[in-house]
Amino acid sequence: MPSLSTTSADNLPDARSYLQNKLEVPTKSQLSHDEYGICNNDDFRFISSHNTNEDSTIAEVEDPSYYILISTYVSFVLLIVIGHMRDFFGKRMFNKHYKHLMPNNGYAALLSDFDSFYTRRLKLRIDDCFSRPTTGVPGRTILTLDRDSDDYNNTYFYSGSNTRCLNVSSYNYLGFAQARGGCADAVEDCISRYGISAGGPRLEGGTLDLHHHAEKLVAKFLGTQDAMLISMGFATNSTTIPALVNKGCLVISDELNHSSIRFGVRLSGASVRQYKHNDMKDLENLLRETISQGQPRTHRPWKKILLIVEGLYSMEGTLVNLPAIMEMKNKYKFYLYIDEAHSIGAIGPHGRGVCDYFGINPRLIDILMGTVTKSFGAAGGYIAGDQDLVNRIRQRSHGMTYAESMSPPVLTQIISSLASITGVKEFVEGGEHISEDTHPGPVTHNTLPHWMTLPRDLLDGTEGKDRLRRLAFNARYLSSALRKMGFIMSGSRDSPIVPLFIFNPAKLPLFSRTMMDRLTPGAASIVVVVVAYPATPLTSGRVRFCLSSSHTKGDIDELLRACDEVGDLLSLKLSRREPKWTVDECIDRAVELVQSEYA
Amino acid sequence: MLSVDDVAHYLHQLPGSSIFLRYVRSSYQNDPWRSLLELLLFLFALRVWLSKRTRGDSEKGFIRLSEGEIDELIDDWQPEPLVPTNQPHKPPPTILGPPSIKPRVLLPQQPIERAKQVTNLVSYNFLGLLGDQRIKDAATNALRVYGVGSCGPPGFYGNMDAHIALEKSIAQTLGAESAIIYSQGFATIVSVIPTFAKRGDIIVADEGCSFAIRKGLQISRSTVRWYKHNDMNSLEAVLDGVNREAKRRKSPLTRRFICSEGIFQNDGTLANLKRMCELKRKYKYRLILDESYSFGVVGSTGRGLTELFDVPARDVDILVGSMANTLGGAGGFCAGESVVVEHQRINSAAFIFSASLPPIMAVSANKTLSILNSSSGPSLVQALQSNIATFRSALTGLDSLQCASHPLAPIQHVFFTPSKEYQVMNMSSAVENTDEEKIESIWEDIAEDALSNGVFVTVARHLRGQEGDIGALSAGPNMRVPPGGATPPSEPRPSIKVAISAALSKKETEKAALTLKNSVNRVLKRRS
Repeated sequence: MPSLSTTSADNLPDARSYLQNKLEVPTKSQLSHDEYGICNNDDFRFISSHNTNEDSTIAEVEDPSYYILISTYVSFVLLIVIGHMRDFFGKRMFNKHYKHLMPNNGYAALLSDFDSFYTRRLKLRIDDCFSRPTTGVPGRTILTLDRDSDDYNNTYFYSGSNTRCLNVSSYNYLGFAQARGGCADAVEDCISRYGISAGGPRLEGGTLDLHHHAEKLVAKFLGTQDAMLISMGFATNSTTIPALVNKGCLVISDELNHSSIRFGVRLSGASVRQYKHNDMKDLENLLRETISQGQPRTHRPWKKILLIVEGLYSMEGTLVNLPAIMEMKNKYKFYLYIDEAHSIGAIGPHGRGVCDYFGINPRLIDILMGTVTKSFGAAGGYIAGDQDLVNRIRQRSHGMTYAESMSPPVLTQIISSLASITGVKEFVEGGEHISEDTHPGPVTHNTLPHWMTLPRDLLDGTEGKDRLRRLAFNARYLSSALRKMGFIMSGSRDSPIVPLFIFNPAKLPLFSRTMMDRLTPGAASIVVVVVAYPATPLTSGRVRFCLSSSHTKGDIDELLRACDEVGDLLSLKLSRREPKWTVDECIDRAVELVQSEYA
Repeated sequence: MLSVDDVAHYLHQLPGSSIFLRYVRSSYQNDPWRSLLELLLFLFALRVWLSKRTRGDSEKGFIRLSEGEIDELIDDWQPEPLVPTNQPHKPPPTILGPPSIKPRVLLPQQPIERAKQVTNLVSYNFLGLLGDQRIKDAATNALRVYGVGSCGPPGFYGNMDAHIALEKSIAQTLGAESAIIYSQGFATIVSVIPTFAKRGDIIVADEGCSFAIRKGLQISRSTVRWYKHNDMNSLEAVLDGVNREAKRRKSPLTRRFICSEGIFQNDGTLANLKRMCELKRKYKYRLILDESYSFGVVGSTGRGLTELFDVPARDVDILVGSMANTLGGAGGFCAGESVVVEHQRINSAAFIFSASLPPIMAVSANKTLSILNSSSGPSLVQALQSNIATFRSALTGLDSLQCASHPLAPIQHVFFTPSKEYQVMNMSSAVENTDEEKIESIWEDIAEDALSNGVFVTVARHLRGQEGDIGALSAGPNMRVPPGGATPPSEPRPSIKVAISAALSKKETEKAALTLKNSVNRVLKRRS
């Protein structure tokens, strides 16, 4: 089956009929426009921006009934007790399986019992729901390699066959994960010109002209003076934070900040305090306490205070309360570091992250960090800010001095995908009147490498705009509809990450497996991500959908039907809010649902 | 007002209250003091339960301030600037186009017409396979199957068949049981060490270890003891000392590791793996070996240190390497027993919290590996080794220079001799900087001079001030130097780092070395 990257799909009748005929379920064979779904209905578009009538930063989640909470605790207690019993007898009766957990021949145990207990006794039971191996493009659909285990998930065997599944799990917000289309063509061109490696660390001769092009473009896209790229998203945080703070500085961190931030703070040697997730009152109290008390014991004033927040929290779908933080920033004089790993490209009317979404000038933020792995289908991260900051980090970041620099094909993917969102001035309608300093505005043609040729609809920015609007619609539609159907959800309705709470640990694998092998015979398989303790609090196991602009309205309908099916089976519609809608009502009134201020 | 009777009435209505009352009454009749004590205990428990458990007020040294005072303090507080303003910034030269063996290089702030074609002694093109058509073809094919990014961590559908295949072939090439792929070479060892070594564990590390290892040690919070650089007697003395001390203190058995690089990033010396393996077995340590610069280049077919010393890879408990150097791609790997590898898949931060390596990079690394494993592999390694020898012999004859690197190392560091270093320090015009920075500025002049004469070399870059910072547990004034061991490592010596390539001819290598030699002479003459 052909796969398309552009929205002009008149040559693909089957793809359109799938939307127009309102099939009950798309069958496996019909998931054909597999990388990027075709959806030409202009009603299914929305612009993501902050609406003051709607509180999109609220972090509270509706509590389930006590029955659910208690049964969740009981399940965990049961799992833990049985796990310990198996360990107790296992170590005595089958000790060859426990060799690495016990002191052996004068060596201490390689892994401590306690550290690996969760992995062995809880995760292994449902291991088939994690790390499913895949192949091909992680686009609108994904091919999973079929596997099976006959020793309780200790080892797997592969039958060699694949299943094509609807993919609501990859961080492919703008659908740039593509093996075809303008961006992929540019990457192919790049591979033949540059090969695949930049040759070494940035400061030791690994700087190519492509790095300058890409960094200029990122800075222009974000509206900052300069930007720099690091070849791994995790390392962007963990190697940059030590370049900014050290002993005598204080880092204030949201309690749900990503592991890479904690890693970086630990390397920096700075003190760290946490505040309750997105709780502005708690943050203000903490600021007042820490500034007035100074450093512990000596009471000397802090050298500087760095507040690190994420734009969009990947497990909760909540947006940072940026307006409130900006107000506090003036008063308390801290520096602000926003990790936009999930929000860049994914929210805001121009896709430029939380600043764009809340209408805040990006130059007021001291450090903007983000990844290009997610929305732009590349790999790595960036740091952006004013000239002094970026120059300083270029000299002081571990990533620039020691780590391999970003490779040419990845840089090309960044350049081509970013340019298609900003548009190139010479091709944008009315572009000749736009000054180069305008933010958000198009880039000029000389920002792109001279050899790069992109199709017209990428250059004039129409394609990028369409992607942003489709993503905004999809995200809001799914989140609102699931709420209306009675599921307990968290996060902003504009977030492309949509978490649905499941609570009980036993329901998690069941959810994942039932989405894979659907109850309706012949219905499309859906791959989902289930997350439980320790990635979430003990009682709030959840499934997390990541939407993409490559999904069509039909795909979301299908997902809703699947959730409806499983939701009834596992009794997940636990919300006490009324009125509830049926799944058909949600699907029919999708546009109304998306545009309404309340859900 | 409630009367006592009313209270009693309500109490009677509570289920189970009669049992409670009976208990109180009988215990009171037996021993009224006991009832009083129980009541006090209950009230105390209630107080503890209700008291604030958060930090702050209860913490020692907390000063209670009024709101007005806090506001005043906040107004008074002036933070330091986030970064120093208007710092001198010297960007590195830029390669225009691919990092080939003869690239066009442009100095910063120069117009593009001034770009010059030079000989490349910078890019990690050890086997000369950068830009090889076979690898490009493999990458292009992979692009058309996978796209560029993997768009997710391995746990969430970012675990692709391309990664599994590369893991298998790395394990096979090394002869290890299993392997795991990380998405950045630098981040690999930084994350692997703390996955296994925790607080209370002991790591005996070479004082010459790279920055990445030092950071890994720091984050593991283990107790670190250092041994003298590449000195096996020192290693033995430290291992012996640590074991004896543990015995004397009767401390519980903790995990113990030896940590070393194969070829050291900071000076290009080569570790004595054979002896290290003997020692680790004798003293019951596990070995963490970073083969980032040795995998793919030493040993007769390029399988690294294990091949060179004829030690089975299974003897190295945790073997870390990089695909960014020899394999000309990106990412890192860790090989070892299945238990070691599988544990990382759910416990290693840089693995689980990061998107997986772009599949095109995995496929092309695999392609490079298969070229290395094919019949043409040994000749590539051979060509590299002979170029290294040529380079080294061309550079001899200058008393001021020291080629401390091992004759097999693909990165050759060129140092000044210690006496020359002292002399050079006084030549530098830099005023406030440290000794290392003064010497480095001379090296930078030499590199610039070499570039203008057609050879691209780079000064070995270090984060001065951060290299020596290895955390409280392994440094600090209270740290005891083990007998026969070394003090916590300080800043590495300044040097020029030269990456030799198999793609250069003997003549080109020789000429490049001579150019570098002339630049050294010229700059030293100019400065003195």
